[in-house]
Amino acid sequence: MHELAMATQIVENVLEEAKRHDAKKVAEVHLTIGKMSFLGVDQIKFSYGILVKDTILEDSKLIVEEKDGKIECNNCGYKGTIEIKDDPAYHIPVPTLQCPKCGQTAKIVEGKECTITSIRILKQEDKNGCKQC
Amino acid sequence: MANTKDVINGEEVTLEVKPGTNILELNKQLAEKNKQLLTKHNVKAIDIMGSIGAGKTSLIEQLVQKLKPKYKIAVLKGDLTTTIDAERVGRHGVQVLTINTGRECHLDANVVARAFERINLDEIDLLIIENVGNLICPAEFPLGTEKRVVVVSVTEGPYMILKHPFTFMNADVMVINKKDLAPIMKIDPKQLEGQVKEIKPDVKVAITNALTGDGVEELIKAMEL
Ligand SMILES: Nc1nc2c(ncn2[C@@H]2O[C@H](COP(=O)(O)OP(=O)(O)OP(=O)(O)O)[C@@H](O)[C@H]2O)c(=O)[nH]1
Ligand SMILES: [Mg+2]
Ligand SMILES: [Zn+2]
Repeated sequence: MHELAMATQIVENVLEEAKRHDAKKVAEVHLTIGKMSFLGVDQIKFSYGILVKDTILEDSKLIVEEKDGKIECNNCGYKGTIEIKDDPAYHIPVPTLQCPKCGQTAKIVEGKECTITSIRILKQEDKNGCKQC
Repeated sequence: MANTKDVINGEEVTLEVKPGTNILELNKQLAEKNKQLLTKHNVKAIDIMGSIGAGKTSLIEQLVQKLKPKYKIAVLKGDLTTTIDAERVGRHGVQVLTINTGRECHLDANVVARAFERINLDEIDLLIIENVGNLICPAEFPLGTEKRVVVVSVTEGPYMILKHPFTFMNADVMVINKKDLAPIMKIDPKQLEGQVKEIKPDVKVAITNALTGDGVEELIKAMEL
């Protein structure tokens, strides 16, 4: 639902980064999205496609990698992927924060991110860079 | 920020930069700042989230009446366009500030930080924030409050907890409201309570009727106020 807002921030961040490196064009943007965030990959891509029009990001490829959820238990030290339970009444699989080892409530340590991991930019070679030649 | 450079031809160069910017982390950092500010001014803050019409404003009205003798309260209200809720709460004689969220589906730490500029934090000791009516998005944006409360009502059907497990993972307290309508809806609030505890064993649960105030004392206890 807030994918447009997120995509806006992504584009702004990439533009800033591109400007810092004197980019002529941005070719690729790599994004990692945690499966425990509420972000839909398709919606992000859709918003991105609209936002990059008429910027140096136009025609760039947005490559999204999804990351699994990981939990950690403060009580017993368990660390692992998030468990899926089967709800007894409805037989619907539901993810749970309950620690599989000790039963206490664990906390989410991975899978909630929306990170710009890398971008590939095209830049005009700086011809004045070398004063000797 | 390791950069790798490779020349494609004489003129163009591609460059890989690794910003590593976590967009969601930006909000979290601001939320942490809010929390520090609130702690510095000895203000307890509660974020009340929940679906449209679940009874957030009705519960806040109840809370304000019951807590007024004990706390100096201000209410922050995220509202898309209207001030209806603000007027409802304001009738109970507490300071109410509206944050116009426009079309935004949630409050974030930044708009709350800006709202702090309009409140004298030294004059209050409890801040209740009504988030935008939406069961999903607000959960992703902590505001820096000490407690996060999610309100659902029995009229939303038996599946809303199972359908939105991640929302409840972010909650300290869950309210199951409109208990008076449970028999009509053929829903057992205890079953909803069981579901949320399956997802997050340490969540505190209050079952309420926001029209009569039934269960509001339990909610106050669950919020440790
Ligand atoms: N029967 C019954 N009705 C309730 C209860 N709590 C709230 N309502 C009614 O439900 C409707 C919505 O209540 P609000 O308090 O405005 O809900 P809200 O969550 O603040 O709604 P939005 O801010 O619009 O998302 C109103 O008509 C209330 O009178 C309850 O416990 N029982
Ligand atoms: Mg309301
Ligand atoms: Zn454990």
